Amino acid sequence: MLEIDKMPAALVCLLGERGIAKESILLCAKTDISPEHVYCDNWLIATKDDLILVSGVKTLVPKNMTPAEQLLHPEKLTCDFAEIGWQYYPVSKISDMKVENLISDARMTAVYKEDENDTGKPVLLSFLSGSAKNSANLFIKYFGQLKEKGEIKPDDEDFDREIICPKCGRRYPDPNRKICPHCMDKGKLIKRMGGFFLKYKMSIVVIFIIMVLSAVLSVITPYFSNSFFYDEVLAETGAFFGNILLVLGIVIGTRIINSVFSMISASVSARITAKVIYDLKKTIFASIERLSLSFFTGRQTGGLMTQVNSDASSIYWFFVDGFQSLVVNVMTIIVIVILMFALHPLLAFLSLVTLPLFVWSIKIIFHKLDKLWAKRYGSRRSMNAQLSDVLSGVRVVKAFSKEREETTRFHARSKRVAHDDKALSDFETWAFPMVDMLLYIGNIMVWAVGGWMCVKGTLTYGTLLTFVTYMNMVYGPMYFFVDMVNWGADCLNAVNRLLEIMDAVPEVVERPDPVRLENVQGRVTFKDVEFSYVKNRKVIDGVSFDIEAGKVIGIVGHTGAGKSTLANLLIRLYDVSKGEILIDGVNVRDLAFADIRKNVAIVSQETYLFMGTILDNIRYARPDATYEEVLEASKIAGAHDFIMKLPDAYATRIGFGYRDLSGGERQRVSIARAILRNPKILILDEATAAMDTQTERQIQSALERLTKDRTTIMIAHRLSTLRSADKLIVIENGKMPEFGTHKELLEKKGIYYKLYKLQADALKNVGIEA
Amino acid sequence: MTDIQTSTPKTPDPAPASDLSSVVRIQYLDDSNARFTEQNGFLSLAATVYNAETQADEEKTWERIFLHAAFPFDMPTSYISVQDKDQKEIGMIRELSALSPDTQKILQGELARKYYAPKIERILSVKERYGFSYWRVDLVGVKDFSFTVQDTYRSMLKVDHSHIFILDVDGNRFEIPDVEALDRQSYKKIELYL
Repeated sequence: MLEIDKMPAALVCLLGERGIAKESILLCAKTDISPEHVYCDNWLIATKDDLILVSGVKTLVPKNMTPAEQLLHPEKLTCDFAEIGWQYYPVSKISDMKVENLISDARMTAVYKEDENDTGKPVLLSFLSGSAKNSANLFIKYFGQLKEKGEIKPDDEDFDREIICPKCGRRYPDPNRKICPHCMDKGKLIKRMGGFFLKYKMSIVVIFIIMVLSAVLSVITPYFSNSFFYDEVLAETGAFFGNILLVLGIVIGTRIINSVFSMISASVSARITAKVIYDLKKTIFASIERLSLSFFTGRQTGGLMTQVNSDASSIYWFFVDGFQSLVVNVMTIIVIVILMFALHPLLAFLSLVTLPLFVWSIKIIFHKLDKLWAKRYGSRRSMNAQLSDVLSGVRVVKAFSKEREETTRFHARSKRVAHDDKALSDFETWAFPMVDMLLYIGNIMVWAVGGWMCVKGTLTYGTLLTFVTYMNMVYGPMYFFVDMVNWGADCLNAVNRLLEIMDAVPEVVERPDPVRLENVQGRVTFKDVEFSYVKNRKVIDGVSFDIEAGKVIGIVGHTGAGKSTLANLLIRLYDVSKGEILIDGVNVRDLAFADIRKNVAIVSQETYLFMGTILDNIRYARPDATYEEVLEASKIAGAHDFIMKLPDAYATRIGFGYRDLSGGERQRVSIARAILRNPKILILDEATAAMDTQTERQIQSALERLTKDRTTIMIAHRLSTLRSADKLIVIENGKMPEFGTHKELLEKKGIYYKLYKLQADALKNVGIEA
Repeated sequence: MTDIQTSTPKTPDPAPASDLSSVVRIQYLDDSNARFTEQNGFLSLAATVYNAETQADEEKTWERIFLHAAFPFDMPTSYISVQDKDQKEIGMIRELSALSPDTQKILQGELARKYYAPKIERILSVKERYGFSYWRVDLVGVKDFSFTVQDTYRSMLKVDHSHIFILDVDGNRFEIPDVEALDRQSYKKIELYL
């Protein structure tokens, strides 16, 4: 039996009572919502002949188990299963089982057919939340197998139990990276981060020694400038009476040595950290480049690099600034507290008695401040976003004369920022003086008790002053410590985000020992190819065709039919979910990336030109190309003429901050780039769509010469673009209903005929015969 | 002067007065040309619709149809697209309340099912951990329900200043119809994300 979800014992009992032995059950899974929108347990159970749906109320749970623990230890649940519904369907009469997505949840349906001739009627199997979709999809997959082949062959990939965090039982948010943010071990993060620092251990030891020394020095200074000065130098009874220069010398000397120490340690650690951050960024950028396209479609690429940079710099400042001060402060405080108790335990106790209250209140203040800061950050971000949005869209704003509305919108957001600013500064103005009062109270107590002791002669004036200074030295760093906690958390977050990128696993991976193709002929074969970007939404569904080497093939279809996806699959930006794609009879999965990308070039709808000269951009595909080759490629691509009109011709800098090319110009440059690659297989994905008809014709005729002995795949919705194609493929809703020559397809009077007629009619309307 | 986000007309425009209607034609479905039926929780339709190819009205039936609101938050019962199993639009319902009571009942049931999202009554805790947040909430009818959200700020679907949806990692939506109506403790827990 294949248990996608584990059946509770009570359910097995219940099934047994109804005459369904546990042994006869082949497949079961659980979904979680009733038709009345109540969370419950719906069990889908398949035997050889029957599909049984049992719905029941949730299993009762021992009181002290969290939902996560229930997942992890199903055996500990007291499994009472109270049945509320029971349905039977013969397996042979059920087909087309699928999950239909609703807005938040989903429903599982199937088609019930009395016999072969029946058109069938839909049946509702179950409702389910997003969390149960995985189970439902697996059930559908294996139910299909069961129906077709009479047996089930579980696929190991589907039952990777490691997708659940062993500690808390929650699913990993990213199954490719087995890390549970909920139970993530801070120690581990710090350890991994430490790995980057390990290279520089000698320098780190040096820094530590210097820091310890400087902490000791900073503690000694008050002793000399207070206790020693008043009691030994100024007092007539002192051992060094009148020797003021000595004290000055010591005080100034320690100050200078201390400054030198901190300068050395700061510069050494800044240098190490900079190197570490450099290493880190290098590793991360390498990881980013390695990842598959789907990683980038899954998140906002624009912010990715900015995020990497800002995270890296927040780690930098933490280690350069924060970590140093932390070590120095901790050392200082330990030494001071020991000294204070050694000097005078009662006074030491008095001066530290308000400390816990002090720490507690700054903790509260920082917590509140954090909230206020976050609020202000949010409102500033939304104001800035709106500002940059409106400014970059200023043409549209003016065109619709919406200036006043935009101003009003800006006012509203600006007002919120002002409000949050005010709340923040209001809070700061009263909160900090209040806390300082606590410190002051401690001070007064020490002065009062100490002063009284001085008068009585049990304490020297110098010791009293030393105490007061030490006390302030203990309280001061407390602000830092409390803030340090947040600072550290931010830094850990940043470390985690960076590691997340490093750990991400590319979905499209090259085989360890790929097949190398020396002489590519250019034969392309698609065999029953299926593909979906999101589970269960097929974008390509059973497409098969075969293109002989050197032929030109056209792909026609409506916008969004899946034409470009075919091209992306061929160059392996994504992997097919079913079927295979062959180049010269070899599966692209087995080919080396280098060979695919060397022999297949794509000119797509989105042309991306990098910052640099036009020459750099054309030569991007083949940096060793000669100038003459670049000129030839540009001529074929129809780019030469416009480039020569630019003052700097091929040396014209394009990209951010420089000259902007028009859409058609950019496309021509990228065609030149692809031509220069001299690939055996050339894919033109709406490559000429942004050009006027005349230019398109020119490029077309040049391309026709170029396509002579290379396989060319042309994707277009303007049919005139495809006149030179040997064969045409019609794609509709991911399927391939028609395949043949222009003539054959016209005779077939199908989709192609309709499209052709539509476009020809459009031309006729303006007086042109196609 | 109005803020773009808050100016939300709650009823459809009275008549297609725009000049665009002469250029493009929206097929509207109502009692006069369409009959909706329901069986086992599935909708089917028999309707007379315009066929662009033959340029004439045609009577057709669909075994299964699907509803999709064009403006689900502003006008949940107006401008409902009626689609076939391939998500091709058959026509639109301009206003649900203009249909016969029986039809209304059928369609409303289907819409309620489609747009259903569990409602959050109380927020027990929100824990931020490394880019994810772990929520414990009381839903209507369910006590102490937990879910996980990635990138919390961006996972808040804000319909207007007080009506929000929270999207969890599994794609479930949880609704808070009015954040200001939440108790003070709950409100404080999500205030930052608003």
